[in-house]
Amino acid sequence: MNSTLADIAPGPGSDAARAVTRGRGEVLVTLVRREFWEHRALWLAPLVIVGLVALSTAIGRVHIELDDAERLGSSPEALLSIVQLVLAVPLYITSVFVGSYYLLDCLYAERKDRSILFWKSLPVSDGLTVGAKLLVGLVVVPFGVFALALVADAVYTAILETRVALGNVPRVLNWSTREWLRTEAVMFLATLFAVLWWAPIAGYLLLVSAWVRRAPILWATLPLVLGPVLEWVAFGTRYLLSFSDYRINGIWGILGAGHLNIVSKHGLHPVGTALEVLDLRGAFTAIDLWLGLAATVALVYAAIRIRRYRDDT
Amino acid sequence: MTAVIEALGVTKNYGATRALDGVSFSIEAGRIVGLIGPNGAGKTTALKAILGLTTFGGELRVLGLDPRTERDALMREVCFIADVAVLPRWLRVRQALDFVAGVHPRFDPAIAEGFLRKTDIRMSSRVRELSKGMVTQLHLALVLAIDARLLVLDEPTLGLDLLYRRNFYDTLLNDYFDKQRTILLTTHQVEEVENLFTDVIFIDHGRVALCAAVEELGSRYQQLTLAAEQAPRARALQPFYEREIFGRVAMYFEGRSAAELGAFGELRTPSIADLFVAKMQGMGSR
Repeated sequence: MNSTLADIAPGPGSDAARAVTRGRGEVLVTLVRREFWEHRALWLAPLVIVGLVALSTAIGRVHIELDDAERLGSSPEALLSIVQLVLAVPLYITSVFVGSYYLLDCLYAERKDRSILFWKSLPVSDGLTVGAKLLVGLVVVPFGVFALALVADAVYTAILETRVALGNVPRVLNWSTREWLRTEAVMFLATLFAVLWWAPIAGYLLLVSAWVRRAPILWATLPLVLGPVLEWVAFGTRYLLSFSDYRINGIWGILGAGHLNIVSKHGLHPVGTALEVLDLRGAFTAIDLWLGLAATVALVYAAIRIRRYRDDT
Repeated sequence: MTAVIEALGVTKNYGATRALDGVSFSIEAGRIVGLIGPNGAGKTTALKAILGLTTFGGELRVLGLDPRTERDALMREVCFIADVAVLPRWLRVRQALDFVAGVHPRFDPAIAEGFLRKTDIRMSSRVRELSKGMVTQLHLALVLAIDARLLVLDEPTLGLDLLYRRNFYDTLLNDYFDKQRTILLTTHQVEEVENLFTDVIFIDHGRVALCAAVEELGSRYQQLTLAAEQAPRARALQPFYEREIFGRVAMYFEGRSAAELGAFGELRTPSIADLFVAKMQGMGSR
């Protein structure tokens, strides 16, 4: 195609040494940066959460009953890993909401403010544009949040250690590099499986975002609410409800998360024990996970086609 | 030399409405073409087809490429400003430059910066903080720094005051246009830019009413201003449009010679704006 252009006539002042195309990688990096310029919640919200959690570790107090304390005292390493997990949870939950909202908004926003014509005036394909948005929602944000959680944990730990050193709080956590690493590994795997399992949801959100003329939140949630209600009224069955529940939570069952026994009557176990308990191989080879990824490809392809050919600007 | 744009029987329907009804024209390189038509005539649809923003029927090649299937390659050579409102309001000036530099192989940030230095626009400003005129200046700065072969401007100065408009077109002509580039422009303010055009295409009801080089117009169209009592005799030569101005009559002819018309009154080449009105009204009255 480039040769066709060159054959007709070289552009005015065009420099032969200057490539006609930029590297895909460079374009992709630019596209990803642009998403963070526009959707500032993607990086602001996680930072605010880290700030709030850090503040709570600095001034917070946890009331512990005496018999609890005995149990806790018996497994300080397990407690370390549980605290590590609990402090990271608000960040992960926030990023799920922020990321979902982003995917639902990104293709709608460019049509709402009519900037789509500006983006389309540049030599970036619709596939690459939508692909960059999917990359942000499914890779950059989740794994960026994982990295942020890792750094944030160092901050929280430093704050707690300082408080212990100041005699502000008693020492109940015992540092264990092994358990810390194993907990991070569990969180990484949970992030990975969440991304793989929720990919079709991301594709669905992108499709709705590319499609609807207004109120994307309404259009995205309406079928999920109305469908099961209508099914229940008409047939008295709940297949749709159990299907959407499965597409949201199913992966944890496949992983065998129900067999986890971190906090029980008999004591605490390190989060890292999940590495032995969870069925990683079974989850990776689960047909439903791969069917979901295939559905993602179809949904994203549909979103690309809609962005390419819709004509209401 | 291959035509920059070659349209052959281009059609586009919106439901039952026929927006483009077999549009054919050809634009050579190094021209400044005015695409002129009343509201709803199909101008914007034609531009959208050229830019690959809509589906259409018929044959259309832009820089030798099919806008339907080769849009991404086409956008390396084509720039467009669709309307002043399309720059996203959250974008900072610096980010706009960085972004275009990151995705466009033919963008030279130094040119854009040089252009912006002559304005009041600051690099740290967001688009929403800029006045409408400044947004247009920014968009123009981005577009002028792209080494494109075809520039498409759809009402680029809509809603701007006279100073900005004048400035816009001066910059376009002096800093950008040369014999290898082609500019396709639609505007409502025809009088203001008619000296700019080398070619005009009149479009009405989805059809091309006229497609001509400006220098041809003089030999094709005549405007005759004559006293009212002369009018009946002149009408025998079949003007396609006439109107009254201060008790005199202006008649518009196609393909008549100065020898035929000169005796009746004052003869001149109609301005593009007058010719446009004459063509549109004349077609409507038939």
